[in-house]
Amino acid sequence: MRMKMKFGAFMAGIGFLFLAVPLIAHHGFDTEYDANKKVKLTGVVTKVEWLNPHMRVYIDVSDAKGTVSNWNLELTSPNTVRRQGWGPKDLLPGEKVIFEAYAGKVIETRGALARISKAETPDKPLFVAGGPEQPGFPKQ
Amino acid sequence: MRRCVIAVTIIILSMTLPAQLQAQLFGTGAQVKSVPAGGTPVVADNLVNGPVPRLPDGKPDLTGPWVGGGSNADMEVEGGLKPGELPLLPWAKELRDKRKEGDEPYTACLPMGVPRVNPYPWKFAMTYTSKGLTQIYLLHETGDAGYHRVVHMDQNKHPDDLLPTWWGHSIGSWEGDTLVIDTVGYNDKFWFDSRGTPHTDKLHTIERWTRINYGTLVDDFTIDDSGAFSKPVHLKFTAKLLRPDLDLMEFICLENNQVGAAGGYVPGTGTSNEIKK
Repeated sequence: MRMKMKFGAFMAGIGFLFLAVPLIAHHGFDTEYDANKKVKLTGVVTKVEWLNPHMRVYIDVSDAKGTVSNWNLELTSPNTVRRQGWGPKDLLPGEKVIFEAYAGKVIETRGALARISKAETPDKPLFVAGGPEQPGFPKQ
Repeated sequence: MRRCVIAVTIIILSMTLPAQLQAQLFGTGAQVKSVPAGGTPVVADNLVNGPVPRLPDGKPDLTGPWVGGGSNADMEVEGGLKPGELPLLPWAKELRDKRKEGDEPYTACLPMGVPRVNPYPWKFAMTYTSKGLTQIYLLHETGDAGYHRVVHMDQNKHPDDLLPTWWGHSIGSWEGDTLVIDTVGYNDKFWFDSRGTPHTDKLHTIERWTRINYGTLVDDFTIDDSGAFSKPVHLKFTAKLLRPDLDLMEFICLENNQVGAAGGYVPGTGTSNEIKK
């Protein structure tokens, strides 16, 4: 079982290497986002915007004191996400999610989404984007 | 050992199969769809080397849709040159070096210009009339503001009173199986790449588009701009055919453009060749 998991993780890594491409196709990454400020947070989706030029997912995140911040996370274009097979019912407001993102340089809660999964299936990401650690980043 | 052989086989498969099939094989199940962001799926590798389809008039079918085939991040490198080989005049090199990526007009939903492409698809659309092939349109999913570009196939000279425009004035002709597009009348507002490579309104471009097999289109591209370059320069770009079930989709760039907000700047302010102090 353990071996299987390792093998699965290995293949997931291979999939990431060959499938993932930079998140930000419409503009550069470094102008807006901090490659050294990657966060991993849990929250509740408040809005999914299938709008141009890039999709955005908004997520409410509570800190230890109960203060809620609404994160505005940028994906790539709606067309690109649709072509890859993700549809309007795959992520909905009210769903609890775990996400990784690169924080905004000036407004931290405006981030570039790197990975998102539903809280009940953390090992099954809905969306795996490229990032600074990816070969060829940030240009495509 | 057997596990190793299987792993290597799967790695090779993962490099050659279309993205959607990969997702089915290695993906995360029917309940949860995992989206590898950003890529535009292209035709399967085993089809790329197939024959070039032809139109009823015998010409190669260049329709597409295609992805790639031009500059995006760095024209010099993407066009096949070594760093420093692009023969920019000193002022143009200085401007390129001083431009900031966030200032590029494209990020404010202005057109990308020639030969710029992004990771989204584009295509040639031929217009056949009773006079034959009269125009070819270049349609970019993001042009960036959804613009079409017209190539006049029924004209053999440019007008002499052109107003400078983003796409210029293009006339096209066939040299055997190669579509040659000659363009003048550009404005100086767009950037050749997000690095900020500039040009002037003296720009004259010649594109030579050849579909070398089923899945590949090559653009031998010539820049002649005595205002920004010390001599004409030749570049080469390659486009890939999209997966057959895909086509251009609607893209309205200004719908919700929030570029710059996270970084605290206003995008797209670099439409001038003036060097900012």
